[in-house]
Amino acid sequence: MKAKKVFLAALSLFLLLSVALFGCSSSNSSNDSGNKSSDDQVTIDIFQFKVEFKDQFEKVAKQYEKEHPGVKINITTVGGGEDYGAALKSKFASGDEPAIFNVGGPQDVEDWLDKLADLSDTKAASLALEGTLDGVKKGDQILGLPYNQEGYGLIYNKEIFKKAGIDPKNIKSFSDLENAVKKLDKEKKSLGIDAVFAFPAKETWVTGLHLSNVFLAPEFDSNVVNAFNAKTVEFKYGDAMKKFIDLQNKYSVQPTVSLDYSQQVEELFSTGRVAIIQQGNWVYNSIADIDPELAEKNIGILPIPIEGYKEDVIPVGVPMYWAVNKNKDEKVVKESKKFLDWLYTSDEGKEIILNEFKFIPAYDGYDSSEISDPLSKEIYDYAQQGKTIGWVFMGYPTGWGMEKLGVNIQKYVSGKMKWDELIANSKKEWEEARNK
Amino acid sequence: MRKQPLWYWLFLAPVLIALTVVVIIPFIFGLYYSFTNWNGIQSTEFVGFKHYINVFQDKEFLHSLWFTTKFSIASVLFINLFGLTLALIVTQKIKTYKILRTIFFMPNLIGGLILGFIWQFIFIKVFANVGNYLHIESLKGWLSTPETGFWGLVILMSWQMAGYIMVIYIAYLESIPQELLEAAEIDGANRFQRFRHITFPLVAPAFTVSLFLTLSNSFKLYDQNLSLTGGGPYNSTQMIAMEIFKTAFSENQMAYAQSKAVIFFVIVAVISLTQVYFNKKREVEM
Repeated sequence: MKAKKVFLAALSLFLLLSVALFGCSSSNSSNDSGNKSSDDQVTIDIFQFKVEFKDQFEKVAKQYEKEHPGVKINITTVGGGEDYGAALKSKFASGDEPAIFNVGGPQDVEDWLDKLADLSDTKAASLALEGTLDGVKKGDQILGLPYNQEGYGLIYNKEIFKKAGIDPKNIKSFSDLENAVKKLDKEKKSLGIDAVFAFPAKETWVTGLHLSNVFLAPEFDSNVVNAFNAKTVEFKYGDAMKKFIDLQNKYSVQPTVSLDYSQQVEELFSTGRVAIIQQGNWVYNSIADIDPELAEKNIGILPIPIEGYKEDVIPVGVPMYWAVNKNKDEKVVKESKKFLDWLYTSDEGKEIILNEFKFIPAYDGYDSSEISDPLSKEIYDYAQQGKTIGWVFMGYPTGWGMEKLGVNIQKYVSGKMKWDELIANSKKEWEEARNK
Repeated sequence: MRKQPLWYWLFLAPVLIALTVVVIIPFIFGLYYSFTNWNGIQSTEFVGFKHYINVFQDKEFLHSLWFTTKFSIASVLFINLFGLTLALIVTQKIKTYKILRTIFFMPNLIGGLILGFIWQFIFIKVFANVGNYLHIESLKGWLSTPETGFWGLVILMSWQMAGYIMVIYIAYLESIPQELLEAAEIDGANRFQRFRHITFPLVAPAFTVSLFLTLSNSFKLYDQNLSLTGGGPYNSTQMIAMEIFKTAFSENQMAYAQSKAVIFFVIVAVISLTQVYFNKKREVEM
């Protein structure tokens, strides 16, 4: 009997220890290998958000490893704006800090300030296009490097326009646009479209961030930092904004509150069931997957007219920045900067940026004729002519654009809120968020 | 409780340690953070009960609390009604009862997110097409108003959970002694009387389990909510779990969200415990 008890105790102790030891042993071994390799090899852990180019990016990292023996690059990709922020936080909290990660704008820079290395000594920083670094400057320090540029506007189907006898070149103002839309709407049946627009009010980033940006950027001089520092918001071009929302909502496939991105781009636009959508150059690949011919030849982009301000500008901005973690080993920080420099300023890197990633470059010294997709090309042309306004929505109070304004716009289009209430409430929410 | 030998605790240790590490310690951390200005990266200040006071003036939070309550009442009612009905059907002498049980249980094997997307398709596409064809206006535009969003969620949830609850009822129904039913039948009790006075009291313990499961499940619902309506339109179908998630990760107010989560925890705990307490009492009486 006693022997049995001793045996049981011994067995349970063994089980317990084995659990504990097993847990430790795996982490020990990984630590060991980490230490060993750091003597002769530098490991750069990259934690990035852009799912669309994950495969290409991993290929590039392999290529870089081959050319630079002694450098190892680990890439982790977590996609989709808000999930990335949460994942990054837990990544840092776990103690396994990445060397290179992404920041979105002034608010992120503020939040992560303790971690961000100064990148002003990189070649890429000196070549970044004017205005693209505004959101990540802190004094003399440059704390991020732009990924690329993106732009959005009204993407239209050239063939439908042609059939209806509308020349997109003649659309130069809001009233031109309104007339064109009315004409399209009248000939809906013969053109074979369900409606003129697909207005995805369900996607609060389309309405609360992108749409609102066009009408709020002028009052912040198109500078994201001004928006970030602003204690209040005026809605100076609120009337123009209302008109534009009304236009899209009225002539859209209904009901708009439950219309989402994939319905808008894939189901309705790519199949030619609507003529115009408010989207950006990132939809090119989705359209190309469904109808390569349409994507290649028959889509173009129109500016979103701001009545009373400028009616021929495209909002162009930087969606995300690369940041380097300064708490890492000096060697790792140095190699990380070197990698980013290589990616954006070497000839090889440039080639990849244009042809593999299909980015609109945010840096000087690129051959624009090599930009491969028509939307990006058109946007780049607008940028060359200076017909752009900036992206200020990264400077909105956190969550304000999507959770407050975007939601209010949903209420507005379902008739639960008047426009005056929308303006008043959105202003109030901005101020409250700023005074917290 | 008598004193347990050493090996008892040693055998229990792995579970206790796991529970402490993944549930108890994070819970205590969370409680602590809810009193600070933690932003997910660092906390610099101790703010006391500030967040807790703010929570009760937070319209959005109160709205989602009310919505969740309404939803829970409706779905608990429907799930148990359907679950019991299904259980009664498949315990009758039908030839296909085995297949039927499998079919009824199946929705429960599909993940909540996927279910949400499937039903989104049904509500938006199928309903609209049927509505167009038969000219029924009320079938169009589902999920684009708060009411249809609410009923959409209830339908989805009942469809998913009913099969699971059915299994619990079946277990109790099959343990009812046949002699009692036969005796009652001989005494002249009709179908309904037999159900009302014999079956129903004897499956009462199943209600405890089922009500507890459905209530806490509906209260904590997140993935179905996320994929079916995403809280829309205009956040009117946003449940508490989602509201808390958005406060934390979209508005980046980690500590504030944490205090909401603590309140949420208290509410769920109180409801569940009271409910179990009352149901237990009833069982004993019988």
